[in-house]
Amino acid sequence: MTDRAPGFALPPDVEPELEGVAPCEIAIGVLTYNNAETVPAVAKVVRAGLERHFAGARAVLINADAGSTDGTPDLLAAAGLPLVRARHATPLAQRVAVPFHGVPARGAALRLTFAVARRLGARGLGLLEADVTSAADEWLERLLRPVLEQKADLVVPVYARHRYDGTITNLVLAPLVRALFGRRLHQPLAGARALSAGLLDRLLADPRWPAPGTNQTDLWVEGTAIAEGFAVWEAWLGHRRATSRTLTPDLPTMVVQAVGGLFAVMGGYDDLWLDIRGSEPVPTAGAPAPSSVEPVALDVDRMVGAFRRGLRDLGTIWEHILAPETLGDVLSLDAGSAARFRFPDELWARVVYDFALGHHYNVVYREHLLRSFVPLYLGRTAAFVVATRDRDVGAAETHLDGVGEAFERHKRYLVERWR
Amino acid sequence: MTAARDWYKDAVFYEVHVKAFMDGNGDGVGDFAGLTERLDYLAELGVDCLWILPMYASPLRDDGYDIADFFAVHPAYGTLEDFQKFLDAAHARGLRVIADLVMNHTSDAHPWFQASRADPASPYADYYVWDATDRRYTDARVIFVDAEKSNWTWDPQRKAYYWHRFFSHQPDLNYDNPTVRRAMLDVMRFWLDRGLDGFRCDAVPYLVERDGTSCENLPETHAVLKELRAVIDHEYGGDRLLLAEANQWPEDVRPYFGDGDEFHMAFNFPLMPRLYMALRLEERRPIVDIYTHTPPIPPGCQWGLFLRNHDELTLEMVTNEERAFMYYAYAQDPEMKLNLGIRRRLAPLVDNDRRRIELLNCLLLTLPGSPIIYYGDEIGMGDNVYLGDRNGVRTPMQWSSDRNGGFSTAAEGTLYLPVIADPVYGYQAVNVAAQARQPASLLSTMRRLIAARRTSPVFGRGTIAFLRPRNQKVLAYLRRHGRETVLIVANLSGAPQPAELDLAEFAGVRPIEILGDTVFPPIQAAPYVVSVGPHGFYWFRLDRSDGAEEPYGIESTAI
Repeated sequence: MTDRAPGFALPPDVEPELEGVAPCEIAIGVLTYNNAETVPAVAKVVRAGLERHFAGARAVLINADAGSTDGTPDLLAAAGLPLVRARHATPLAQRVAVPFHGVPARGAALRLTFAVARRLGARGLGLLEADVTSAADEWLERLLRPVLEQKADLVVPVYARHRYDGTITNLVLAPLVRALFGRRLHQPLAGARALSAGLLDRLLADPRWPAPGTNQTDLWVEGTAIAEGFAVWEAWLGHRRATSRTLTPDLPTMVVQAVGGLFAVMGGYDDLWLDIRGSEPVPTAGAPAPSSVEPVALDVDRMVGAFRRGLRDLGTIWEHILAPETLGDVLSLDAGSAARFRFPDELWARVVYDFALGHHYNVVYREHLLRSFVPLYLGRTAAFVVATRDRDVGAAETHLDGVGEAFERHKRYLVERWR
Repeated sequence: MTAARDWYKDAVFYEVHVKAFMDGNGDGVGDFAGLTERLDYLAELGVDCLWILPMYASPLRDDGYDIADFFAVHPAYGTLEDFQKFLDAAHARGLRVIADLVMNHTSDAHPWFQASRADPASPYADYYVWDATDRRYTDARVIFVDAEKSNWTWDPQRKAYYWHRFFSHQPDLNYDNPTVRRAMLDVMRFWLDRGLDGFRCDAVPYLVERDGTSCENLPETHAVLKELRAVIDHEYGGDRLLLAEANQWPEDVRPYFGDGDEFHMAFNFPLMPRLYMALRLEERRPIVDIYTHTPPIPPGCQWGLFLRNHDELTLEMVTNEERAFMYYAYAQDPEMKLNLGIRRRLAPLVDNDRRRIELLNCLLLTLPGSPIIYYGDEIGMGDNVYLGDRNGVRTPMQWSSDRNGGFSTAAEGTLYLPVIADPVYGYQAVNVAAQARQPASLLSTMRRLIAARRTSPVFGRGTIAFLRPRNQKVLAYLRRHGRETVLIVANLSGAPQPAELDLAEFAGVRPIEILGDTVFPPIQAAPYVVSVGPHGFYWFRLDRSDGAEEPYGIESTAI
């Protein structure tokens, strides 16, 4: 075993778990919370992935559990791999209303997993999501090989998704991360990933870990890695299907958590992004799988209707958040017909930046601010669907690239107003 | 601005006196230029329609309700051109405007009356109600009992008595004369042609007189009103509003809606004092009772609700016992009484108790009808009962702590009425500028309540059904419209109150409190227990879909 990981002491109840566990080259982390239904398949993938792609390498499975009551840790143990169980404390509120990523206090779970991995001397840590049922053994290979053999420090997955999946990611998170951090990550909040020992040590030594339960950690990790010159990659992993009994299905709540998490990272760590200009793609592992083209049932009329209700009802909140010119432009959008609804990229960028600024300056109670963002997001989503539904997948990608460019072009608008 | 013809059903109205709102030219009297300047404030407040008090040329012996020229703006308020600019600016902000129209009478200075009294043979001789004696219509009550002894006054010029239901300087028009009816239609056309969105028609029960009757609410009066409505609907496309002032019991007001072919709206006068009564008694009975006596109205019609207005808080529509109680509860100083009413503003009526002000506004905004907010009440303005008549509730709007409350740059002594300047309600303490900056101010709360009301048509269009919790201090009612149901729970008491509500028909629903956007525990078959803070209230949305919206189709994979 190596020396204790710098800057972070393992909880006393984890120490005994490490006794008798030999040092390893590869650590696989699985963060769980009541995933009995799906973890046996995940364990199978881990076992197959290690055997097929990393035969001979010493590996340990780390299970950071948030207090499952359905026997999840035991089911994972049944995989037969060397296992470290690390139960972590979680706020009751997050166990009652589990965040979008499925793990109460995911940040705490990550920190614990990182620390255990380094205590065991792992050169690379691969993280898999406990609720994903479509994982394949090559996912482990695509995530970890760049770390172990190609000097990557952080590998973030890109799943093959339907063009209308991930609209919060595609229309808000990815363009904002691109403009902020200067890297074109497709899915910055995807839960699987791989990290190098160097990056793990750097993160564990950082005294500025985000507060637990604020959904910031993944984005903070990415921002820190990019800002400090660690090599960030993407790995194409194929289709992602998840089964969860605990995830919130409530769209406004997801927006509050995900967008709120990114806004909080912007506010708490502006040294990571204020000076960055432009963007570049990142190296990739694997090849993209074709996107799903199955028809999906989208209710664009309801989305535009929600936007219209926002126009009608939320003006008094928006006027505190949006710059007068932005508010004027939003109010001028013609939402009379869903079929012809448009939401220009440049205006969308200013809207998101104004909300980030409003969040930063706390101009309105933040939960209200984020919830009042939902009709705007739905309006922008409707405009995206209207603009691309009669066109091919490539057109949708081009459209989203245009959104990212607009965010990048208008970053000055954000920076000039940020104090 | 919604294009619906029945826009008034969803609207929040704001009653404003031109002279009292903002002085644009610094002469001490509010005017259209000043009102235009302040339209943004009204749009931000969230109201939909302004009701402006009489702005016509007038000797102002009854604050403009004594009109001397129906076709001219009072010079102190500006010109016709100023009015047009104001109207266009309001429309540009999505605000509609209705104006008071005094149909029953004119000023004795009106040229029609001057001609009528001067020459019994003139074309205007029969524009008014003349008689050789003062012994006709003796069953008609005197309304302004403090000022008038009779409804007849001798005119030495014509040597006859003329009929007046209000002040003696306000002779009643003779609606039995078809020329008068045509003349009044021409008056209405003049303003509607300029874009006015309708009229609040003053004192409509008294248009026609008949021997042996109270001379109120006569079938002949309704016939006149129906005739006016039909012409206006025909000529202006059906979206111009007629709002009746008929201070009568509900069953007597009901005919003013006709079969949906008379007035679009009428004030709910009997409800208003009972809101105050319920609050003072700390029990819901007065409110529930008046609704049991309120007949249904035609589908295209709407009640106008108000807490206070430019007149005294009228107690005509209460029993003698109730009136005695109201005087005891709300007007212990004799100066506060006027005619059969109390001349005080909302905030002083409830001792400036913020909780009671908000509770009354909660009821105003959630009971069936369209709410009408009296200018200044949204910031808790006070009154000055020593200014005479009803002037104490018509003082200048308090905009800021600047001189004259920011209302005017004129010298203090030249204001049409002094600004309220006492330590509690004075403009230094109560003004728009201060409250606009404070999220917890009454003004900010009013904005939020109005905004919440705008989230659903259920408030303006829904039915009402009262729940009967054992605790009489708790008023709870369901408003339903289409698929939407809202539950209002209000504590009429100054102490926290529990209530068990029979909501079994909503078992499984998770109530969402609209004002805080908070999800409450699900309703079970057993009584739903809530506790409400002192004078507190909840607005619950009872959504059959268990709180979940219909899907957009993007939820499961949104991140």
